[in-house]
Amino acid sequence: MDVTAVRRHQSDGGRPHPPRLRPPANRVSPRAIAHWMIEYLLLWGLAFGLSWGVAAWIADSRWSGLPGWLSGHVWWIPVAVGAAGLLMVTVAPVWRYRVHRWEVSADVVYTRTGWFSREWLLVPVSRIQTVDTEQGWIERMLGLATIEVNTASHTGSSEVSGLPAGVATALAGELAHRAHDLRDDAT
Amino acid sequence: MVGAARELIALLAAGAAGLVVGGLSTAFYFTLVGLGIGLAFHVATWATFTYVVREDRIELRRALVARSVKTIPRERIRGVDISASLPHRLLRLAVVHIDAGAEGGEGELNAVHRREAERLRRVLLSRARPAEPAAPPRRRLARMRRAWYVYAPLSGAYLLTPFALAGSLIGTLYNLGDDLGLVTQERVEGLGHDLVGLPTSVVFGLAVLFLLAMPVASVIVFTLFNWAFTVYERDGSIVAERGLITRRSVSLERRRIRGVELADNPFERRAGVLRLGALVTGLGDAAHRGRLLPAAPRRVAEGLAAQVFGAVPGPLVGHPPAARGRRVLRAVAPPLGVGALALAAGQPWVTYCCLVLAVLAVPLGLDRYRQLGHVTDGARLSLRSGSLRRRQVVVEHGAVVGWRLRQTLFQRRLGLTTLFAAVGAGEGGYPAIDMDEGDAVAFAAKITPGWVAPFLESPPEPG
Repeated sequence: MDVTAVRRHQSDGGRPHPPRLRPPANRVSPRAIAHWMIEYLLLWGLAFGLSWGVAAWIADSRWSGLPGWLSGHVWWIPVAVGAAGLLMVTVAPVWRYRVHRWEVSADVVYTRTGWFSREWLLVPVSRIQTVDTEQGWIERMLGLATIEVNTASHTGSSEVSGLPAGVATALAGELAHRAHDLRDDAT
Repeated sequence: MVGAARELIALLAAGAAGLVVGGLSTAFYFTLVGLGIGLAFHVATWATFTYVVREDRIELRRALVARSVKTIPRERIRGVDISASLPHRLLRLAVVHIDAGAEGGEGELNAVHRREAERLRRVLLSRARPAEPAAPPRRRLARMRRAWYVYAPLSGAYLLTPFALAGSLIGTLYNLGDDLGLVTQERVEGLGHDLVGLPTSVVFGLAVLFLLAMPVASVIVFTLFNWAFTVYERDGSIVAERGLITRRSVSLERRRIRGVELADNPFERRAGVLRLGALVTGLGDAAHRGRLLPAAPRRVAEGLAAQVFGAVPGPLVGHPPAARGRRVLRAVAPPLGVGALALAAGQPWVTYCCLVLAVLAVPLGLDRYRQLGHVTDGARLSLRSGSLRRRQVVVEHGAVVGWRLRQTLFQRRLGLTTLFAAVGAGEGGYPAIDMDEGDAVAFAAKITPGWVAPFLESPPEPG
């Protein structure tokens, strides 16, 4: 019954349709693709190296505890890890770039993140407690920054990565200023 | 400032007791020396510890070796707990624990007179009137009935106490015997042989005895902790008092109570019993300290919730049937996965056990689906999930600090979303699992229209 009220408000021509969130207005910087790619490359490169080492060790030791179907195909492990890594490095960053969006309206920070799973986050400026900007070494190389908006709840704290450093700094300052003005103590 | 002699005695007693218990495992004279040092230390600590209540802050000064002054601004104080163990109670003393927010500030005042403790609590929690207020009226909101202590075995939490007790008893005996030179290799081996040699009937009898002891002991332990559990209201605070030997009293500032949580498990559900807790901002150890009723019939628990916070909205709106499959799959998948791994590793028996578990998980998944629900009554929203540990939280609209919607690829195909209400109290966020996409957005929009409406898709052009 509650739901229908909003639906009716949204309806047109008598046919109700459920309310949907539109995507936030702004994309992150395209350089974020490069950032995520480097990150995934390092991570999966490490995993690939480790799995290669494990496979070599197993093949050498002729360990008898393994079930028969595995012992003959130990080298499949690094191959599988490598294939998965390659897929991640090529597909995930582009996909993430298409999903990641952000928008700051008059009093709400609205973000969409994720790739395989998506998350929409609405945080009112009045409930913001701290705003942090961070730059990892890859981000510094690419001139990007991550902005972290913290509220009293971990669930209600959002993070936008891949913003151009200048935009992030300006945004953080503006948000902190506005949060100070609007603050209502719900916590 | 406070009755000095009483503090001294209490600290001596407490120190002596602590050292006697702790010192059992070392040799006797070491214990004596330790006791002496401990006493001196306690006396010195006591003599150098002072506290001052000022207009806007309370200062706790320690000056034994390193000097330290801990200043807690009074407006930051979120709760004042008073507890008293048996020695404290005999000497009419109490420990005052000052809680000042999640990050950092906590202060403890050991062994102040009980009346002084009550006065401190009153003064610290009523910052509107810093002067000594007249004894305010206290109104009792709820009290445990005798019959409710029998609900203890249902919760399961106290069922393992006999094992814990037996374990610690054996450990203590062993340590004691070891110190006195009674434990030797031969004796331990002899004991092992004796145990193995016991007739089956005796072992069986012992096992049955233990099983019988479980519920009885759980009731006893539960009663020890929650004896005369009383909730009353005073000065804009909700105070919960409990305990038979150590009496503990927790005050929660009413304006910081953001919601309540009603929890139960399938056994409690069958008996119609609930556990009630408060969601309070900035309360450390909230699971224990926010407790308002450890076990009570639903009617009573909901009544207390209504008095403390507000009526529990209802009835809950169920989630779409598409969510049912997901709950069942989520319940069945882990045992099936382990089973498949076990099969690959060549352990057929493990696989069979996992298959049985998977079959048992089907009704669990169905029940999890049945328990999903959400509702709002215009001032408070309520979300419910879980089966083995079902939780229904009720949160006031103003306490929501943000919304998070999560949708996996699988959820997107089914048109489902999990909506998290971020709350600056309790666990920080509570999910409404697998809501209909549109319902989730509409639910959030109904509670906080100003935050959600600007981001709604505009309706398509007619025609």
